[in-house]
Amino acid sequence: MNMQLATGNQAAGHSMSIAGEANRHARGSISGIYPITPQTEIVEYVAKFPFSKGRVIPVESEHSAMGVCIGASLNGARAFTASSSNGLAYMAENVMVAAFYRLPIVMAAVNRTLGPPWNIWADQGDSLMFRDFAWVQLYCDSNQDVADTTLLAFRLAEDPRVLLPVMVCMDAFIVSHTSMEIELASQEQADRYLPPCEIPHHLDPAHPVTVGGMAFPQETLTHRMDLDQAIRQVPAVLEEHRAHFNEVFGREVSGAVSAYRTEDADQIFIASGTISLTLKDVVDERRQKGEKIGMIRIKMFRPFPTAEIARLCRNVEKIGVLDRNYSAGTGGIFWQEIRAALQGRGGHLVQGYLTGVGGGDVVPDAVREVVADLKQRTEAGDPVWKGIDQ
Amino acid sequence: MIEIRIHGRGGQGGVTLAKLIAAAEHREGRSVQAFGIYAAERSGAPVQAFLRADEEPIHNPNQIYEPDHLIVLDPTLISPVILSGLKPGGWILLNCETTPEHYAGQERVNSFRIATIDATSIAVKHGLGSRTVPIVNTALAGAAARLLGMNLESVVAAFEDFGFHGGNQLAAREAWDEVRVQKDPPKPGEFKKQEISHARGHAFIGGNEGAPPAIHTGQWANQQPAWENATPPCNFICPAGNDVQGFLAALTEEDVDGALEILLQTSPLPSVCGRVCPGFCMMQCNRSELEGPVNVRGLERYAGDHGEVQVTAAAGRPEQVAVIGAGPAGLSGAYHLARLGYGVTIYEAGSELGGLMRTGIPEYRLPRAALDRDIERITRLGVKTVFNRRIDHRALEELTHEYDAVMAATGLQRLTSIDLGLDLGTDQGRVLQGIEFLDKARCSAVEVTGEDVVVVGGGNTAIDAARSALRLGANEVRIIYRRTRDEMPAIPEEVDDAIDEGIQIDFLCSPVRITREGEKRQLSCQRMELGEPDESGRRRPVVIPGAEFEIPCDRVILAVGQAADLSLLPEGAELSEDHPVEETVDAPVYGAGDLLTNEGTVTAAIGCGRDMALMLHERFSGEKRYADPPDEATVVRADQVRFQHFEMQHRHDEKVLPFERRSGSFDEVRQGLEGVDEARRCLSCGVCNSCDRCVTYCPDGVLKRVGKEIVFDYDYCKGCGVCVSECSRAVIYMKTA
Repeated sequence: MNMQLATGNQAAGHSMSIAGEANRHARGSISGIYPITPQTEIVEYVAKFPFSKGRVIPVESEHSAMGVCIGASLNGARAFTASSSNGLAYMAENVMVAAFYRLPIVMAAVNRTLGPPWNIWADQGDSLMFRDFAWVQLYCDSNQDVADTTLLAFRLAEDPRVLLPVMVCMDAFIVSHTSMEIELASQEQADRYLPPCEIPHHLDPAHPVTVGGMAFPQETLTHRMDLDQAIRQVPAVLEEHRAHFNEVFGREVSGAVSAYRTEDADQIFIASGTISLTLKDVVDERRQKGEKIGMIRIKMFRPFPTAEIARLCRNVEKIGVLDRNYSAGTGGIFWQEIRAALQGRGGHLVQGYLTGVGGGDVVPDAVREVVADLKQRTEAGDPVWKGIDQ
Repeated sequence: MIEIRIHGRGGQGGVTLAKLIAAAEHREGRSVQAFGIYAAERSGAPVQAFLRADEEPIHNPNQIYEPDHLIVLDPTLISPVILSGLKPGGWILLNCETTPEHYAGQERVNSFRIATIDATSIAVKHGLGSRTVPIVNTALAGAAARLLGMNLESVVAAFEDFGFHGGNQLAAREAWDEVRVQKDPPKPGEFKKQEISHARGHAFIGGNEGAPPAIHTGQWANQQPAWENATPPCNFICPAGNDVQGFLAALTEEDVDGALEILLQTSPLPSVCGRVCPGFCMMQCNRSELEGPVNVRGLERYAGDHGEVQVTAAAGRPEQVAVIGAGPAGLSGAYHLARLGYGVTIYEAGSELGGLMRTGIPEYRLPRAALDRDIERITRLGVKTVFNRRIDHRALEELTHEYDAVMAATGLQRLTSIDLGLDLGTDQGRVLQGIEFLDKARCSAVEVTGEDVVVVGGGNTAIDAARSALRLGANEVRIIYRRTRDEMPAIPEEVDDAIDEGIQIDFLCSPVRITREGEKRQLSCQRMELGEPDESGRRRPVVIPGAEFEIPCDRVILAVGQAADLSLLPEGAELSEDHPVEETVDAPVYGAGDLLTNEGTVTAAIGCGRDMALMLHERFSGEKRYADPPDEATVVRADQVRFQHFEMQHRHDEKVLPFERRSGSFDEVRQGLEGVDEARRCLSCGVCNSCDRCVTYCPDGVLKRVGKEIVFDYDYCKGCGVCVSECSRAVIYMKTA
């Protein structure tokens, strides 16, 4: 194994670059990209990469960055970008356009708290604001996961059954800026894993068409139903490409949902991103004390893995959800989705915990408090804020 | 698993240090993890970084709360906070100059092992980072590797991954060799556990007040700005004690009377000083680093000549003081004493007030009208004068019976002479003293028309005598001086003028003897060279053997110095700047001016007269009216002034009398400034002049001007230092929060 030290940003930059380079025999690659803390290292990486048929186009804003990717993708190039936090907010209009045009763009989203107040630390509220934009969203938990998921994302996005953009998300700093040993894919591996990018509806001067013109309600309804059909293919298609990934790279890339010690559990805790790593240690610790608890890490937020969550939770009474994000007036966004997923399936107690909102370090003690809280609960209540001296 | 926490400041390279050690551990086959906590990226802000190394894969995403070891990049960060959770027996590797034993005795660290390395010096030595922010991480990586039992070569090899070559590698090797380890570390039984602190939010959400919570960002600051006027170099150096910056500030407001009032607080002779002062303030003026010093002398003259101020005396005090001598020191002493309410009588050997200012400084430099204007301000205070009374030893004793105090300011009455083989005065006045010549010249009591005149000396008297001789119709005037131009005590501008007027100066040249050849005289001179410095710090002129030459001439004027005549004082008495003579006299006798200090300028004499007057006042009234001189460390020097904030602006020079009108005329050469625009060139070094750049540029709006003061709202000041870098004049500075 060729292990190298790399940050999450370098992992994303590397995988996006070799994926772009892998399309050199087809229509090449383009990145329109604009720097923002904590994603800037990705920009640096792709800007230095010696593409043989590809360009990194400096732009004046995130909105234009995605605009470049849309233009490139519409012309059949493999397109990718990266942003974070308020940069994503500024990009928003074109983020939606990318999906509604059915363009297989890959974007690394480094999850940073939306300001104000200005804050650079981890919070998923930025990418989660796009939950209704028809992007596939994958939340990574480690540098290796970012490196591998980014390659998987291109394969998934460009699959003719899907043709949707994919967002690869990682916690700011905890992943983006932490140096760890990971296995970085070689160009040869990327070439084998990624077939030439085929975008069936790419523009052709020989057959001029207008894209994104005016549509009446009935046509728009059809467009939305098509989107729904496509995104519902993702769980199955993802599994195919994970298997293929294993063949090419000789290692497993994590799937939409990862369950840990859930088989005989009476309580399950659910988290995403790096919180799931701390949660896993606490589950092991409690198991040693005889408590029957387990955990689920959700990697894929869109499409939401409803069926898999329902299957894994069918025998448990109580579920605790740890969210590093917050939707005003309700609570954690994963928590709401899980409540909806389990609705009408046996009356679980589903309690939400707001952990690390605004980027605080979710330490084992905080997770232990969550575990203890759920244990004594007889009914679910309002989401519980952690990390505040009440 | 080894867990290390690194504490540093933004810009020191703490996060990279974690990555460097991680890379070295990785080379030694361990799994690693390295990361920093980034804050609002700001040079100097406290920064933490973390490093984990283990034989097993690492997946813990949390920060390190119970480190095995600490590395501290800046010793000022040491506090209970950084020791939080440190495991007993762990290393604390400190970047500092001192030995581990310096810290080892302190209770809060006595459960740990301490090692120190002067990584800052090593970084500076190898040119790593900038001088203000040396990057110390590579040196510390070397030291840390030694403590952790790692292979130095793994560390140096890891540097290659980062492109760190040369100085960085040498720094690491040097630190590996030099790291100092505590000689007598605590034993395990003596260890105490450290508290762990977790950052938690405060429940500041009280009620719904419809506004976002106020975040007291001032808590983030490790440094805060403060405001204090410092000392401008002109004020610090002025021998008269003038508030130079203050009167220039008044002139920028076109307030000529106000400027004069400020000057008259310290000196009664602004019209004089504005003409004859060597301009110590101008020599120290920071503006010299831009395009030339502010023409302070010209502005002082302007204020003195054009300002109107009524000076008043305080309510009368019972004490009577006799002042001996009406030169600048005596007049200054009399002026200040009179203003404080003392009865003052000046005893003067001559028939007018002014001393050498009247008899020894030619009119083309100091017109009598200007001198009289300043002096009238003094006499108007009710100072009595007794003329034509030369006070000797016995007369002084009498004055001490009659008065409550005496101030002796007789100047330098003994003229230094050189034995040139002919007695002074006996050669039909062909060899005479400069002071004597100048006095005669002003009374038209000397005739030099058509003569070749040689002046010996390098001071103002020599230059004045030479230029006066030229004006009186001399054929050719030469100055001979035994050192070089650089050592000349005369005011440089006056020397320039003399040369411009056609006076030849022979440097490194000393007179030996005069011989008479009919009507002509021959001055034999000796060529000199500069040797080792003498007690005055100037290089001593040394004779070049055999290098003699002759200057034919008609007259020789000696201006080689003067000395105090102390025969006036009571026997055995010695003058001091710290106390009067009191033994064997009825009333205290204060010295003042050149008699006391031999400093040789009008300006110093004015300052000394005032100092002695205030000392006398303190003795009689118990009231201290003078401030102790400021600490030289508070003087703002050129490297503290932000010249980039100022536009280049050429100096306003005074008009001068054309050369053709100087010969045969004692009309004033320098004709004064036409206005006060020159004052706007003052940089106001160290003194806030309400430019308000700080208020304008503060990114958080935490500075406010309240009257003449700047007020900071420390609740919201993050300590970014923008106000300090925007303060043009070093009034705002950073202090530890």
